[in-house]
Amino acid sequence: MMKLMKGALAGLVMTAGTAMAAEDVTLQLKWVTQAQFAGYYVALENGFYEEEGLNVTIKPGGPDVAPVQVLMGGGADVMIDWMPSALAAREQGAPVVNIAQPFKSSGMMLTCRKDTGIAAPADFPGKTLGVWFFGNEYPFLSWMGSLGIGTEGGDGVTVLKQGFNVDPILQGQADCVSTMTYNEYWQIIDAGLSADELVTFKYEDQGVATLEDGLYVLEENLGDEAFKDRMVRFVRASMKGWKWAEANPSDAAMIVLEYDETGAQTEDHQVRMMGEIAKLTAGSNGALDVADYERTVATLMAGGSDPVITKAPEGAYTMEITDAALK
Amino acid sequence: MGWVVFAVAFWLATWFLNAWIARGPHAQTRAAGLLVPVIFGVTVIVVWEALVRGLNVPGVILPPPSAIWVKLVSATDILWEDFVQTFVKGALSGYIIGCGAAFVTAVLIDRSPFLQRGLLPVGNFVAALPIIGTAPILVMWFGFDWQSKSAVVVVMVFFPMLVNTVQGLADTTTMQRDLMHTYSASYAQALVKLRLPAAMPAIFNGLKIATTLALIGAIVAEFFGSPIKGMGFRISTEVGRLGLDMVWAEITVAALAGSAFYGIVAMIEKGVTFWHPSQRS
Amino acid sequence: MNKLLPILTVVVAIMVVWYAAAVGMNKKWALDQAERAGISLSTGALISDTWSQDRPRLPAPHQVVAELWKSTGGMVIKGKPFSKRSLIFHGWITLSATLAGFVIGTSAGILLAVGIVHNKAMDMSVMPWAIASQTIPILAIAPMIIVVLNSIGVQGLIPKAIISAYLSFFPVVVGMVKGLRSPDHMQLDLLRTYNASGSETFWKLRLPSSMPYLFTSLKIGMAASLVGAIVGELPTGAIRGLGARMLTGSYYGQTIQIWSALFAAAILAATLVGIISLIERRMLKRMGAA
Repeated sequence: MMKLMKGALAGLVMTAGTAMAAEDVTLQLKWVTQAQFAGYYVALENGFYEEEGLNVTIKPGGPDVAPVQVLMGGGADVMIDWMPSALAAREQGAPVVNIAQPFKSSGMMLTCRKDTGIAAPADFPGKTLGVWFFGNEYPFLSWMGSLGIGTEGGDGVTVLKQGFNVDPILQGQADCVSTMTYNEYWQIIDAGLSADELVTFKYEDQGVATLEDGLYVLEENLGDEAFKDRMVRFVRASMKGWKWAEANPSDAAMIVLEYDETGAQTEDHQVRMMGEIAKLTAGSNGALDVADYERTVATLMAGGSDPVITKAPEGAYTMEITDAALK
Repeated sequence: MGWVVFAVAFWLATWFLNAWIARGPHAQTRAAGLLVPVIFGVTVIVVWEALVRGLNVPGVILPPPSAIWVKLVSATDILWEDFVQTFVKGALSGYIIGCGAAFVTAVLIDRSPFLQRGLLPVGNFVAALPIIGTAPILVMWFGFDWQSKSAVVVVMVFFPMLVNTVQGLADTTTMQRDLMHTYSASYAQALVKLRLPAAMPAIFNGLKIATTLALIGAIVAEFFGSPIKGMGFRISTEVGRLGLDMVWAEITVAALAGSAFYGIVAMIEKGVTFWHPSQRS
Repeated sequence: MNKLLPILTVVVAIMVVWYAAAVGMNKKWALDQAERAGISLSTGALISDTWSQDRPRLPAPHQVVAELWKSTGGMVIKGKPFSKRSLIFHGWITLSATLAGFVIGTSAGILLAVGIVHNKAMDMSVMPWAIASQTIPILAIAPMIIVVLNSIGVQGLIPKAIISAYLSFFPVVVGMVKGLRSPDHMQLDLLRTYNASGSETFWKLRLPSSMPYLFTSLKIGMAASLVGAIVGELPTGAIRGLGARMLTGSYYGQTIQIWSALFAAAILAATLVGIISLIERRMLKRMGAA
């Protein structure tokens, strides 16, 4: 039934395509509208998608949105996700495939208050750490796994599911919280703690970095040449957007603000975020670096007794789209 | 398509079966009263299973009941730990504190119509504050463990309980109160012997409403920060991990616990207010 | 007057407690900051600091009111009442989902109640499950409802309205079943002596006598619809509406914004319930019931 409907829908799109109308692509973001996704908003605003004959809809995510679920349900054609949760989903029977990787480096880190006496990862046992869940806990769990630190309290660390903000470290409920270089870290600073009162551990520096914000589609769709062609154009335009955003960070931030419908984002925060994001996208032309992929897989499988994925995934990425897009 | 046809056929068959029992000579018996909803429930489950199979719905969107059952049986220890954390520590403690405090407040303001007239509208206003907004605030105040969940439950159940109790205490006729006067009963005596018993149906109404609120409040509050156990934590985490069978196993536990909680309060009510017309049918 | 005075007294009392609590709860942060800056605060400076922090644990009432005014009346004066920074805009988004959900939920509830009253099998089988359905945490299944509806192409307002309907139908069912059954034997017998048909009994006796019950449950249902609409905003990306405001407020640690959205929601609920009470009073008066 589902297939039937999708078929009918694809048929509709095809007939629309022959009538020279723009083809629809729906992108599901991993999180709310913010400069983390500037490249896509820039491509939309500056007409890069239009030039490729695409009519792109961007759906913001949020704490209660699982992008993979939306993709499986047919609510989006392509999604942004972190590789750990995408690979875990793949092992759970959701056949998602990485088609492009605009983010080269990881922005994830653990931020601690200096007065808790934490100076190195060896000091973690006995402390309380805030972690995001909802599929974002995998990098943390693999890191702890590779350090050999338990996450069940006792001799190991006590883990809190931190909400969507940095309150636990401000209110003293946790010794460390998870932060992104481009977002939560600055919220701590904004709240009044200064950088020299904090100690940060970047996943990148600890050698346990996993790939973030990549583009993923359903495997079955890749069998369809028309779909592949749309993705090639989508990736090409998106990367154009990213490079524009890297070159014009403050303009890009303003474009993102335009698209933020909650009206809760501030200019300062977005401009700063864009600056940090540019550091992470720099060095990627959109194509996945297989070495990074292998490192991510190795990190995820090294998770001690309870690894995030149990066997090396096959076919979890394809170079076809980026090869064609970057030609 | 076979499964879909089967689902429709099964649904029609059980529907007629239920209609036949309900119209039949034994409709008033206790057995029929139990059997009919059970048949209905079984129908829902069978139709669900058949539709999920027939329409090839992916397991990450809606798992079939059989998969949920497998999870329910195999993950009992996790489910039990979550149940203790959320229901016993969070919901139950909040329920007792909230309902208890509301009851005491109602009795205290009973002598002051002035306070009642002021508190009730304000109370209704506060009760309309949506939990999505209050939960993150209370988590910030009371920390991540069950105390904050309990606080959310207190806030949720306090005002419905207060309103019901105040209404209940007013639920006596002039005649009855005059009778108490002629006995020269003191305020306390009149309260204990006449007005509190008369208030029981309304009080239990409040207690019953509070049961469903308590469980929902405790679960929702865990979405906004929690230790790494609890029903709300498990639900939100497993949705992100696409472990939908676990999510539905937790939902099943929540529905069973909620219904049982409601049922127990309703049974106590039956024992306490056996004299009230609504209990004599 | 004798209605207003007690309410005002209570409100004033709450304000006093609130201000005191704001001092108590925000004190730690103020002292922390002062200590780090190496200055000591006088009591007066401490109190004024606790009432004017940017991200207080508990914002003082005037901060909430100021934020409410800034994002509603202030926006109107600036001529941008429907800007996305205006609570009027977000309130409107939530309101439209609430009303749609309320209409769906109430209609479904009334139909189900009529079915339950007239069909024995339905009465016996559906009622226990309707109670069980309310013990399911809606926030947990809301994302699934959205995804499932998405996969059959339903988007936008409708999924939110369905979640809101799910919460509002239950009180209506319970109230209407009670109401439709409220005519006693004497009245039913009277209609039988008139040789009234089933539908005549329904329209002329059962329905009119269920009105007081209907209105009571409509008021509960309306408040529930609003909560449902707010919950439904979260899994749809939380881009617009009062729920989205609360969430982003929480996400960015802007407590004042959460509080103002919270109060906007409560004011909206109170207004909607007030409108229903007004209709109730007029209608019951016309029917000669009150």
